[in-house]
Amino acid sequence: MLSAPELLDQFVNGVTLGMLYILVALGLNIILGLMGVINFSHGSFFMLGAYFMFQLNGPIGFWPAILVSAVLVGLLGMAFETTLIRRLYGRLPEYTLLLTFGTALIFAQIVRRVWGDDAVRVSTPPYIPDSISIGGYQLPFYKDVLLVGLTILILAGVWVLLNKTNIGMIIRAGTRDAEMVKILGINMPLMFTLVFGIGSLMAGLAGALAAPIYAIQPSLASQWIVLTFVIVIVGGIGSFWGAIVGGLLIGILTSLMALIWPPAVEMTGYIIMGIILLVRPRGLFGVEGLFE
Amino acid sequence: MSAHDAPAKPQRNAVAAFLTHPLFWTAVLFAILPYVAGANPFIGNWSGFVGIATTMVIFALFASGFNLYFGHVGELSFGHAMFFTIGAYTTALYAKGFNVQVFGRTVQHAQTDNLLIALLLSVGIALLWAWLLARLVIPRSSGIYFSMITLAFAQVIFFITYRWSELTGGEDGLQNIARPNPTGFGWLQDSMHFYWFTAIAVFLALCLLHWIVRSPFGSVLHAIRENRQRARFLGYDVDKYRVNAFVLSALFPAIGGWLWTYYQQSINPDAGSVEYSGNVVMMSLLGGIQTIMGPILGGSVYYELQNNVSQLTKYWEGWIGIVFVIVVLFAPRGIMGIVEDIQQYGAATALRRYVSREARIKTEMQEEIPPLDETPAAPEASS
Repeated sequence: MLSAPELLDQFVNGVTLGMLYILVALGLNIILGLMGVINFSHGSFFMLGAYFMFQLNGPIGFWPAILVSAVLVGLLGMAFETTLIRRLYGRLPEYTLLLTFGTALIFAQIVRRVWGDDAVRVSTPPYIPDSISIGGYQLPFYKDVLLVGLTILILAGVWVLLNKTNIGMIIRAGTRDAEMVKILGINMPLMFTLVFGIGSLMAGLAGALAAPIYAIQPSLASQWIVLTFVIVIVGGIGSFWGAIVGGLLIGILTSLMALIWPPAVEMTGYIIMGIILLVRPRGLFGVEGLFE
Repeated sequence: MSAHDAPAKPQRNAVAAFLTHPLFWTAVLFAILPYVAGANPFIGNWSGFVGIATTMVIFALFASGFNLYFGHVGELSFGHAMFFTIGAYTTALYAKGFNVQVFGRTVQHAQTDNLLIALLLSVGIALLWAWLLARLVIPRSSGIYFSMITLAFAQVIFFITYRWSELTGGEDGLQNIARPNPTGFGWLQDSMHFYWFTAIAVFLALCLLHWIVRSPFGSVLHAIRENRQRARFLGYDVDKYRVNAFVLSALFPAIGGWLWTYYQQSINPDAGSVEYSGNVVMMSLLGGIQTIMGPILGGSVYYELQNNVSQLTKYWEGWIGIVFVIVVLFAPRGIMGIVEDIQQYGAATALRRYVSREARIKTEMQEEIPPLDETPAAPEASS
């Protein structure tokens, strides 16, 4: 039978997992909402964040490595948008899915070539304690406390960016009607590049933060990307709170499923998505008329 | 002005119609495949492999079925591998037999050796699943949501084959599936014989597909692809047509799965993975969606490429990715698009169109916008 500590363990696990999902999914969601780009390579940016972290952790230290990895991935994303994605604006969004499916294959092979097939690991610096005791309950410190806390801070930052700044205003308006915003005199190509950079940076940041808790391997990208899409669709395209609710929902339920019925763990997200889309065809917070 | 003076359509007689027919070229392709498939000039190997040819033919059918929905209805289903894997596993389980516990009750089936019943079961189960799925999903979603929800359901099927080890053999799949022996002489055991069996079966299925696309039903699908709202105004029940087209497009991957199991004589969960769903999209695009020949050709070209590149480098998937990017960026109408351009503009102009934007605009103007003096009278004047 299920015991309370086990349940709590899995719940906390689910929250951590959900937080990482949110970081990756939110970047994907902003890009999809504003630009109509279905970025299948978003998982590759997550993976590259983790690999850059592995490479930089030794030479420049833990925290600087996380920052530099995220920024590098963000710059890579901007270069990616200006060289490839830009050529597809005005065509069906499905073509961006196909293009980025191709580039995801390329990224995976580049990573295999550079870092090899075997999983690599990143360790946290010694001054971060292994675990912390809260009310007699032992929690892994980095994974369940530091990571969750940092993610909440980052999400708060993204919320401020989206809701309290000019750039955020343009992004929100552009999600509704990019053409109208362009007519009002905003340099949309520049905005697109910038937003693609921000979205990629968030994926890279999630990858770098997740590096110490997962085995880093070339299949990381394909494992994450499909589920990230599921979260975006469950939450609703272009919605900030949708990504958050979707990420937590799927993270927590997936973890709990490990206790209830282990064979169905990988299926949980897809089943949730199936049910939600049948009841609410545009996801929990989706807006009617976007990309149909 | 010379482009306008030429007759709109050259006189087509029966021979010309036969020689330009996609099914004729399909037959030609299938006839030469076993002798050229997998030949790799880069390492000096000029002879074909019959096994690779069989794979190509099966995937030609799989991609064609997928393309019935993608190319002719205009919606991307990113989970068509589920029908392939359903067909393949149904055949495998029917041929090999199984013995599982479902809710404490034993369900079992002995080994069987009947080709046709395996086909009927595979197709029946796949179509039933496709119909249920289509009835649930199609009225509710379209566009990106449709692509993603088909992907999600395909993942559910994938994880069932992956996790229900008792029935499906889990990650390793099912091995040692005997090829049927309908004549009693073991005719299908020979790989060349099996190739011809596959090629004929696939060719017949493609005839059916061609007939569907060219029928009035197919024309309605094209109308839906071009303008869904206008099709609805004309009185067509768009969602009903989409459901029927989706179910029909599941038929061909299921037949492909049936052949795949007997060809491989084993089956594993990969047949239903995202990679397989993505690969058929790639094949269709490479050959050219919106044509019948496109996915057939695309399947062959894809496997030829994969085979050649994988002999040169172990990072071949990256090179496939590069081809994918090039096709999406520069030739979204695929190989058949290039062929059509050459037919329409001649090789020299077609090449110039691919290289220079200016040439593209110039030739586009010539055909689409009639000169001023030929413009039809405005509707106000005629009434």
